[in-house]
Amino acid sequence: MGLITAQSMHEMQNILAIIHESAGLLGDILKVNAKVDFKHRPKMESTLGHIFSQVHRGKSLLHATSRLAHAPDDDLLESCDLAVYSTIGVQLSERMARLRGSEVAFTPPTEAQPVRTGALNVLMSVYHGLYWATSGPTHNQAVAVTVAKAGSDRIVRVTAPAAAAPDVAALDHPRLLLGPDRVVLQGRELNLVFPALT
Amino acid sequence: MDTKDWNVLLVDDEVDFITTLAERLELRGIEARVTHDGQSALKAVAENEPRIMVLDMMMPGMKGIEVLQRVREEHPAVQVILLTGQGKTRDGIEGMRHGAFAYLMKPLDLEELIQTMNEAVHAGQGTRRA
Repeated sequence: MGLITAQSMHEMQNILAIIHESAGLLGDILKVNAKVDFKHRPKMESTLGHIFSQVHRGKSLLHATSRLAHAPDDDLLESCDLAVYSTIGVQLSERMARLRGSEVAFTPPTEAQPVRTGALNVLMSVYHGLYWATSGPTHNQAVAVTVAKAGSDRIVRVTAPAAAAPDVAALDHPRLLLGPDRVVLQGRELNLVFPALT
Repeated sequence: MDTKDWNVLLVDDEVDFITTLAERLELRGIEARVTHDGQSALKAVAENEPRIMVLDMMMPGMKGIEVLQRVREEHPAVQVILLTGQGKTRDGIEGMRHGAFAYLMKPLDLEELIQTMNEAVHAGQGTRRA
């Protein structure tokens, strides 16, 4: 999958790069002519700001999608870094959560956490964990996601919003259950337990 | 060293990207030549050896890594900065193993590129003949 999508990913990166440099050049020209005032200067400057922030957004999404495309690669089938792939999983799930009225408050791990689980399974279980957490009314409250160590386990903890009532049936998804060693539900907390790679 | 003496060669098959980048560098007093494929890049290096080459890794025809290897063999004083795509860290590391000075990801942060160029110029001063 990575090989097949790599070409179009590369094209998208080039498109973003051209938009970024072209907007950058316009910004440069505005700076060089800072003393030349014209009616639409503030609008032009704010529009360039929008372009830059959207390029930044596109860059993050492209990075995450590229990681998703490469997740079934041979060297990521049996193990991966949970710190990296939980982060990517959250990035790829944020839109789904937003459409369901919730933001994701993610605390990224500060160190590598290798686990004996393939990257694709980590991504899918994080996605479905967030799907579960936003399956009931979320009342615009955030879902919290953290990654913790517990002995030889590594845990992605998804905490549903306080006022939410997630649908337990949403836990019964094969893709959620395929990834972790265990899935432990404690109240509003869903613990996706992965075995550490030692 | 003054930035106008950096003698930069930019190599990328994306014409709009690389010509715009050259214009932005020029606005900052950095003159840069532009080529769009590996063969032209090697010719440009042979004609007028740059201090810095900014080289895209993914080009049709001769790949960036081949251009890098040829330049490092035949013009070791040229400092090569590679451009890779997002998620292509491995390509960048591979390039470093073949003697690249650094690798940066597209879309570029221009200030980061200029800073890296500055470091490359200083790193290359010891290897360049007077």
